Amino acid sequence: MKNTVRLIVFISLIPFINLSLKTLGVYGGLGANPVETIIHTTGDWGLRILIVTLLLTPLVYYSDIAFFRHFPKPIGLVAFFYTLMHFLSYALIDQSGDIKIIIVDIIQTPYLIVGWAGFLCLLFVGVASQKRLQPWFNKNRSTISSIVYTSAILAVWHYFWQAKTVEIEALIYIATISVLLLWRLRISTARNKGKRS
Amino acid sequence: MTFLIKKERKIKSFEITPEKAYLNRRNLIKSIGILATSTPMSSVLADNHETNKANLKFIKNSEFSTKEQVNSFEEITTYNNFYEFGLGKSDPYRYSGNFKPKPWAVSVTGEADNIGTFSYEDIVASNQLEERIYRLRCVEAWSMVIPWVGISLRDFIKKFKPNSKAKYVSFESIFRPSEMPGQKRRILDWPYIEGLTIEEATHPLSFLAVGLYGRELANQNGAPLRLVLPWKYGFKSIKSIVKISFRERIPKTTWNLAAPNEYGFYANVNPKVDHPRWSQARERRIGSGLFTSKQPTLMFNGYAEQVSDLYRTIDLRKNF
Repeated sequence: MKNTVRLIVFISLIPFINLSLKTLGVYGGLGANPVETIIHTTGDWGLRILIVTLLLTPLVYYSDIAFFRHFPKPIGLVAFFYTLMHFLSYALIDQSGDIKIIIVDIIQTPYLIVGWAGFLCLLFVGVASQKRLQPWFNKNRSTISSIVYTSAILAVWHYFWQAKTVEIEALIYIATISVLLLWRLRISTARNKGKRS
Repeated sequence: MTFLIKKERKIKSFEITPEKAYLNRRNLIKSIGILATSTPMSSVLADNHETNKANLKFIKNSEFSTKEQVNSFEEITTYNNFYEFGLGKSDPYRYSGNFKPKPWAVSVTGEADNIGTFSYEDIVASNQLEERIYRLRCVEAWSMVIPWVGISLRDFIKKFKPNSKAKYVSFESIFRPSEMPGQKRRILDWPYIEGLTIEEATHPLSFLAVGLYGRELANQNGAPLRLVLPWKYGFKSIKSIVKISFRERIPKTTWNLAAPNEYGFYANVNPKVDHPRWSQARERRIGSGLFTSKQPTLMFNGYAEQVSDLYRTIDLRKNF
């Protein structure tokens, strides 16, 4: 079981390994605008893997296979890792690590405020999932899950808002998250009704 | 690959002459000892569709050229915004191989005495070609330095004898979805249209480019002819022009129609007027290296001395 989880985590890290090797010049290259390539690649995969994490919930819910239960947390952490790299490459490379400039830039740029908020959500969940806080984490599963949903909505909003035109990829993400959110709301309403009766 | 990029950057555009390139190629082939029928140089440019472009004869315009470090041919031809070929920066490089810029004709209509249709060959043959090294500032906050070859737009326009009603000039790109995959989707309202006031169009800096790095324009750079307006954001410099029209009224331009609060008619580079969604105060110079900071954006992209007179009576905040 553990090995399967490890394998899945490794697979989800392949885009990062690929990007790192390109950055180091082992093969290929990062194109004419390497800073942009790094920021976009880490951001894209952060969002994609975050959506995969959300997709795991209905999978666990509908299948009796206990197997899937082991995945949401490690995959979610991978999504957090990509998002952290996304933020760090923006802060340290694009903005040269100048905190004053970064703060002003985020405040002046609406899509960066949204992205930053999404990042803080994931940071919170990431910290809460650590071993010491596990009892609290397990007790507040539904709160944690709403925070992850919030971060996904903010992330896709951030992605959609920075583009000059409507990109198909953004529309696919928006559609997927909307369906998941509706499903999630339906399940929790059903659950609350069940509690009442 | 990296080695080749570095080598390319060191070569100044003026050093690239047809003879030299020819000799270098021969030497290289000779030294490696391969047959001339193989294609050893093509590894640099995988698609190869820009290597079959002819060399151009031109003079250098040093008065209008910047002495800043020129971007490499590879940077200029692999990192483009040309939505007719797709939204990604490398899409124009990848998907412009089927585009046929020849034969080509430009139709000139509207408020001018000498209107008609003019072939690309006529245009190039009847005008003095010159090289101008201009800064290019994209509305997305990145910039390049590009050695264009082309014609003074001022001289070009004079030949059509625009009349007193010609207050504006509009330009239209080609619509050819069979060769331009990006046009199969309505990303923008095709065909792409841009416009200038007649004063802007006849400003000495305004340029009609037909070449790059001493050769005919690569498809992804707007072959066979495009505008270059160095003090305006890149999207004003319309590519693959098929129609020029002299008008009394202000033309409706593509990006302005798509998002009027974000892209104005003038679109002059201005570090003090931000795009509603991002700052325009700084820019990333392509090729400056991974850990080089962004540089401050200059008013009118550094061409304030030449063009600020055009806008003396205009509120640049309102007319962004």
